Amino acid sequence: MLGIVRALGTTMRAAMRKPVTVQYPTEKKELPHRSRGFPVLLWDTRITEPFCTGCQVCARYCPVDCITVTMRDNPKYAEGKSKRKKIVDKFYLDYARCMRCDICVEVCNFDAIVMNNTWQGVELSCYDRQDLVLDLPALLEQSRSGQLEDPFREPMGVAHSGWAPKAEEEGEAEAAPAAQTAAPAAPEQATTEGGEG
Amino acid sequence: MIAGNAWVDALVRMGIIGALVPVSVIVLTWVERKVIGRMQMRLGPMRVGPYGTLQGFADTIKLLTKEDVRPQTADRWTFELAPFVIVVPTLMALVSLPFTADLFVRNLTLGLFYIVAVSGLSIVGFVMAGWGSDNKYALIGGIRAAAQLISYEIPLVMAVLAIAMIGQTLNLSEIVAKQHNVPYIAYQPLTFIIFTIAGLAELYRQPFDIPVAESEVVGGPFVEYSGIRWSMFQLGEFVNLVLISILGSLIFLGGWRWPIGGDAPVIAQFALMFVKASVFILFFMWMRASLPRLRIDQLMAYCWQLLLPFAFLQIVINGLVLVYDWPSVLLTVFSTIAAAAAIWLTYRVAQQSGVRYQPGFDRVGSVL
Repeated sequence: MLGIVRALGTTMRAAMRKPVTVQYPTEKKELPHRSRGFPVLLWDTRITEPFCTGCQVCARYCPVDCITVTMRDNPKYAEGKSKRKKIVDKFYLDYARCMRCDICVEVCNFDAIVMNNTWQGVELSCYDRQDLVLDLPALLEQSRSGQLEDPFREPMGVAHSGWAPKAEEEGEAEAAPAAQTAAPAAPEQATTEGGEG
Repeated sequence: MIAGNAWVDALVRMGIIGALVPVSVIVLTWVERKVIGRMQMRLGPMRVGPYGTLQGFADTIKLLTKEDVRPQTADRWTFELAPFVIVVPTLMALVSLPFTADLFVRNLTLGLFYIVAVSGLSIVGFVMAGWGSDNKYALIGGIRAAAQLISYEIPLVMAVLAIAMIGQTLNLSEIVAKQHNVPYIAYQPLTFIIFTIAGLAELYRQPFDIPVAESEVVGGPFVEYSGIRWSMFQLGEFVNLVLISILGSLIFLGGWRWPIGGDAPVIAQFALMFVKASVFILFFMWMRASLPRLRIDQLMAYCWQLLLPFAFLQIVINGLVLVYDWPSVLLTVFSTIAAAAAIWLTYRVAQQSGVRYQPGFDRVGSVL
């Protein structure tokens, strides 16, 4: 009996509170920084080429075999603009097959691939399964246009390429450098440089 | 009189009510989903139209265009006629229900009696649906519906009878007119409680949704129905909701009159009826969102052992007061005492039979 009164009180209190519903397509919750969307490649804005060297480590470790990569000589290396001797030629990633296990990100020596932590990394509905096989420009698009503002894993970036000047030296010469090109944390930088050297 | 000829007049009035009631049912389904959504900290329907206002209409179109399936082994005529047997009596009851002082189809002298008599017919529809579907869940649901609705019909009728004794008439318009100073809820709190509980049970809504319990009999008599026939069950349910709410506001809350005496202009009459009926409807929705389902033995015991004796007690009290011409204040006093006794008795039985399953979550469901 008192339970009835208590139940009525509970529902009335709940009715007075703000509904917790998020009207999803029009109103989106902020994704956690470590959110694992489908993987995308990162773009080195300073040297204007992908971080990826096409080393195929990701393709070899991918448990579902959804990555296909080929490698070519880097023309910018010959010109002396880049320190990457090899660069990615073709890169295909089948999102229909990918299970977002994060292994490709773990094994990448150049931190060239990250799990997409934006809504674009998960809202991928399309009418044709073939549209889920993304090629190199499509995979780089988000990073290149600056939409991937804050990837969870910072690329080794400038320091890793060991070529372009440091951010503070360069100043405002380059317009709108994206977040991923910022110099990584000092210890990481030291180890990577040591490894490279 | 809207038109000169009595038949034309009646047809016009029935047309108005026949058009308004389905629309109000459509709106009510939306209101119910919204209210219950808010009580569960959800938003309810939001997509179809602004704040989901067109949701009910979209659902209606969907239901009307859906395939009307009849199981091969179903009893054809029983199965197909059952929805009509449920809907038609509820619509018939609306004929004598006055919405305002002037808006009614026919103001019957025995209006209250007629409504009670006619709305009792829809029980047959449930039994027909249960039997005709050739489905054990439907059959169990139909039998449960018959048992519950017949049982709760009795305290409901007794409550209405007590009001008719006070009003000394069965004409609903006159009953409203007699409440010119004090609405009858003041004289008959016990009757009001009995009427509300029995009315809730008549609507087979939570916590009295035993006949149509999804988790027990997967929808009861409606299991095999789809499309337009299913929507007729739904229509019947919501028309009944409107009917009980309007009836309750007419006989207890003073209908289209101001709460403490005085006539109202026509617009205010509409507004008053709307508000008073809405109070009932929202209360029923509130109960639905709050309370778990009763067991069938609790349901039956509560009706026969508590509601019915107290309804008779109220009638005896009314009879004594009326026969010996005691002041009407005594009605209030006696009825309040009896209501307190009923509540106390319910509380005591609930205390004794309540089983403590979890600390802090005890006896929410056990009324008896």
